[in-house]
Formats: sequence, structure tokens, C-alpha cells
Amino acid sequence: MSPAEQPPPSLSTLARTWLAIGSQSLGGGPSTLYLMRLLLVERLRWISQREFLEDWALSRLSPGVHMVALAGLLGRRTGGTRGTAVAVLMLMLPSGLIAATLAAGYTTIRDQPLIQAALAGAGPVTIGLTIGITYPFAKVAARAGKRGLVDWSVLAVAAAIGLIEGISPIVVILAGALFGAIFLGKERPASTPPPE
Amino acid sequence: MDGLLDMVVAFFRASMLSLGGMSALPLLRQDLVSTGYVTDHQLVEAITIGRLGTGPGGLYMVSLGYFALGWAGALIALCAVTIPPLVILPAATFLRRQLLGAWMAGLVRGLTMATSGLVLTTVALLILPSGSNPGATAWWQLALVALGALIGLEGKRHPVLAIGIGSAVGLLLGR
Repeated sequence: MSPAEQPPPSLSTLARTWLAIGSQSLGGGPSTLYLMRLLLVERLRWISQREFLEDWALSRLSPGVHMVALAGLLGRRTGGTRGTAVAVLMLMLPSGLIAATLAAGYTTIRDQPLIQAALAGAGPVTIGLTIGITYPFAKVAARAGKRGLVDWSVLAVAAAIGLIEGISPIVVILAGALFGAIFLGKERPASTPPPE
Repeated sequence: MDGLLDMVVAFFRASMLSLGGMSALPLLRQDLVSTGYVTDHQLVEAITIGRLGTGPGGLYMVSLGYFALGWAGALIALCAVTIPPLVILPAATFLRRQLLGAWMAGLVRGLTMATSGLVLTTVALLILPSGSNPGATAWWQLALVALGALIGLEGKRHPVLAIGIGSAVGLLLGR
């Protein structure tokens, strides 16, 4: 049965599915995206691959965390406004609670020498991960060829300005957006998700 | 009360002016570290904890909110992570043509490249020791930064595995 022929799932089924995504997607955005596609497109067939990619492309235009926007859009396809509410709440409440509980638990053991030693290694790896993940994130937005050089120059200039004390990041962000709207709009971004 | 208002302003502003979870980092560092709510060290701790949990990548903000103002801070941060992205729902319905226009593609591209540049600078600054932040100055810590960058670039291995390796090396060499 194709996704268009499927009867709409009940709210409780929707809630269980999004709870599974919110509580099992260990490790950030890529695993959340993977689980969303696996469950909604391949296993349950509520949403077609084309619809998923369309919503993914739209979600990348949203401010903030794109996976939240994607959950809202996919939830709306499967259950209207109530589907959006269920998808977003079931994705964010368990994972938000886990993040806050981990922080609370960590606060109680933060001063233990073993924890300090572990963080002396885990912290640098996390910084490295953030550096590494930034490249594919920017690469999806950048264009190919000579136009891409202009895009990467914006990144380099923003990074350099970030080193100057006294200049607010907001100024750099708004300047980047304005420059982009005027000069960088010749091609649309890639329409497929980056490899997971 | 001032603290709550500061949190609302800091987290919502960072979420509304960012694209993706990590790109809120430069604004959060400016608003929360420079005002003394959290330290650079706690920023690194929050990012690490965020990678150990479930859900989207931006949930380090919830851990950061907890460090800044306890459960109230965590709740404000969770609302700030959750609400602003939903603006795409009415926008996708009523402004679909504009969203798919060239100027919007350019705006998103410029915003993505600018915030990515700022994120790189921010995390590079976190490597340097400052205040309560011990940074990453030993040879093995710099090697771990490089290892994390390679794993992040490759995108195939789980971040929890990388953090596990880092913790093990820290337990061996960091005492």
C-alpha cells in the first residue's frame, strides 16, 4: 500500500512512534534523521520518500534546530495540527528530559577526580567533533565551482571577524544573511540530505 | 527574575538567529559566558553531555540552561529549542513561493556560512585555556581534538564512541 493509500495513523500510534524516535536517537541530528526516515518512510510507509525530502528541504530554511521543524512538518502530513503537536512534543520532551537529567546528575559528580580526568579527554574530542561536523553542514549550503569560493570566503571572513573582540556575533550573522540574500542566491541548496 | 528574563532572551535569540543546533553556540557564549551565568568549561561540559543524550543536536542548550539556572533554565532552553523552528509551518503554507525563491536560498546560504565560521572560531577559542576553562593544551588533548574532527568529518562513526575513546584516554593520561 502506498503512503497516499494508507489510513491516517491514530494519535496514540503517532505518539508511540515519535516517542521511539525521541528516546532512541542517540548522538544528535544524523541519528534522529536516520530514525525518522527509517520508521516513517520505510517501515510504516506513512510518508513517501519524495514527501520526506521535500519537508527536509523546507526544514533547512527554519531558524534553530532543523530536526524540530522537520518533526513539525512530517507530523502535519500524518495528523494535521494535532499530528504536529504530538510529533514535536514526543520528540522533544523525552530527549529534553534526558539532557536536563544528565546535566543534573553530572553536577553532583562533577568534582570527582575520575570525572575530571574523563572530561579532560571527552571535552577535546567533543570540540573536535564540532569542528568536523561543521564542514559537511556548510558544504550542503555551499555551491560548486567558482561561486563556491565566494561562499567559503564568507565562512572564512566570519571566522576571522569572530576573533576580534568587541564585535557581536549578531552583527556577523545578520551581515552574512544580508550579503547572502543579495549576492549568493544564484543556485538553490542541495535537495538531498548529507550522508549519515 | 532578572535571571529568568536573561535566560529567555539569550536562548530564544540564539535559537531564532541560528540555523541548526550548533550555530547557536557563538551567541550563547556571548550572552551567558561574558555575563557570568556559565563558564567556558561548563560550555564544553554541556556540549559533551548533549552528545551523550538522545534527540536533535541542539539539546546541549538544555544542559547549558540547567548549568545556568537549574531546572527553570533547562525548561526555558527546551522551549527556546522547540518553538522558533516551528515558524516554518505557517511559512511553508503561506509563503511557499517566497521560501523557494533565489533570495531566500541566498539568505540561508549566507547565514549558514557566517554561523559556521563563527562556530569554528568559538570552538577554537574553547581549546585555549581561559578563566575556569582548562582548555586542551597537552599533546594528547590536541590529538583528541584532531581525532574528534576526523570522526566528525567522516560522519560514519557514532559520536558516543568518540566521546568514549576520549574519556578512556582522559582517565589514562589526565590524572
